Amino acid sequence: MSGRVIVITSGKGGVGKTTASANIGVALANTGASVALVDMDIGLRNLDILMGLENRVVYNLVDVVEERCKLRQALVKDKRMPTLSLLPAAQTRDKTAVNAEQMKKLCIELKNTFEFVIIDCPAGIESGFQNAIAGAEEAIVITTPEMSAVRDADRIIGLLEARKDEIEQYRLVINRIRPAMVKSSDMMSVDDVLEILSIKLLGVVPEDEEIIISTNKGEPVSGTDNTRSGLAFRNIARRLRGEDVPLMDLDAPNSTWISRLVKFFAPVARV
Amino acid sequence: MQLLNWIFGTPANSSGSLAKDRMRTMLVHDRLELPAGRLEILQEELLAVVQRYFELDKETTQFDLQQYERRAALIANFRLLRSKC
Ligand SMILES: Nc1ncnc2c1ncn2[C@@H]1O[C@H](COP(=O)(O)OP(=O)(O)OP(=O)(O)O)[C@@H](O)[C@H]1O
Ligand SMILES: [Mg+2]
Repeated sequence: MSGRVIVITSGKGGVGKTTASANIGVALANTGASVALVDMDIGLRNLDILMGLENRVVYNLVDVVEERCKLRQALVKDKRMPTLSLLPAAQTRDKTAVNAEQMKKLCIELKNTFEFVIIDCPAGIESGFQNAIAGAEEAIVITTPEMSAVRDADRIIGLLEARKDEIEQYRLVINRIRPAMVKSSDMMSVDDVLEILSIKLLGVVPEDEEIIISTNKGEPVSGTDNTRSGLAFRNIARRLRGEDVPLMDLDAPNSTWISRLVKFFAPVARV
Repeated sequence: MQLLNWIFGTPANSSGSLAKDRMRTMLVHDRLELPAGRLEILQEELLAVVQRYFELDKETTQFDLQQYERRAALIANFRLLRSKC
């Protein structure tokens, strides 16, 4: 088998790379695909927590690279989803523990076994980022609709563009959209961000408290029904598999008759 | 009108559209790795060259960096009054 190696990256820290990695991984696994989640944030291990697998980590990615164990031994199988495995990062090492060549080799080994290899990238544009993208053919760039995050995303897109030979495709996910603020024009909209960055859109994820709750539980939102962010991540997974899924209507839940009325009259009133 | 804007949204000076405008200018400079002030020097030099050949209406001269996909375009607009030769 030759699976797809997809790196999830952002430039700016804290915009939702790890959250997206966990949720996209779970959503893909729930469509029946085999998925390996790889935590490349060496020294700042998080993905195991979001997945609720922190107590089952024995070996890690650096152990595999330095041949202290077999890849198979380091992979943590998720008991709730038999087709999902996590390759944890080392917590006590730093970004220099793995180089680009070693990462390429590891990705080749992983995509022989898994349909999707999802790599959670560290923040920044230095060696940690360069190593994380080394074995990938696709990238997902995460940003929030804030200026500093968009600027850093632009930098990342420039760096990905410069490696067209290896990274065949890269698409954008806009995270933490607040529909009410976009509506009152106090937040850049999805269209604004797309126009500025000139990049293809893969999906939009709303700001959602459920994400914090789900992190506490170690159960990514995309695995449970009834959350808007979960639905957004499931849509992203379907688009990754080639399905044509329309963007969800972000203001659906509080669509009262008044907001519908305002929507109805708004285009007329603006002229 | 103010009231309508307040009710129906999208005033042109909202913080969202301000952010978008600032982003546009910032990213054009970022992508070209253009240091601040460099564009102004170019403008003066271009103006001097054109003025060797033409008398022009300095008031209406325009310089603009615009974005096409992920590339920038420098748009210069000189209103020419007459040739100098
Ligand atoms: N859509 C969302 N709604 C609400 N909270 C969110 C959302 N996405 C992410 N968060 C929160 O934002 C914080 C940062 O998320 P996350 O750890 O996924 O970012 P990151 O890009 O991986 O950060 P780092 O650069 O440090 O690795 C977390 O506390 C997470 O719960
Ligand atoms: Mg992270």
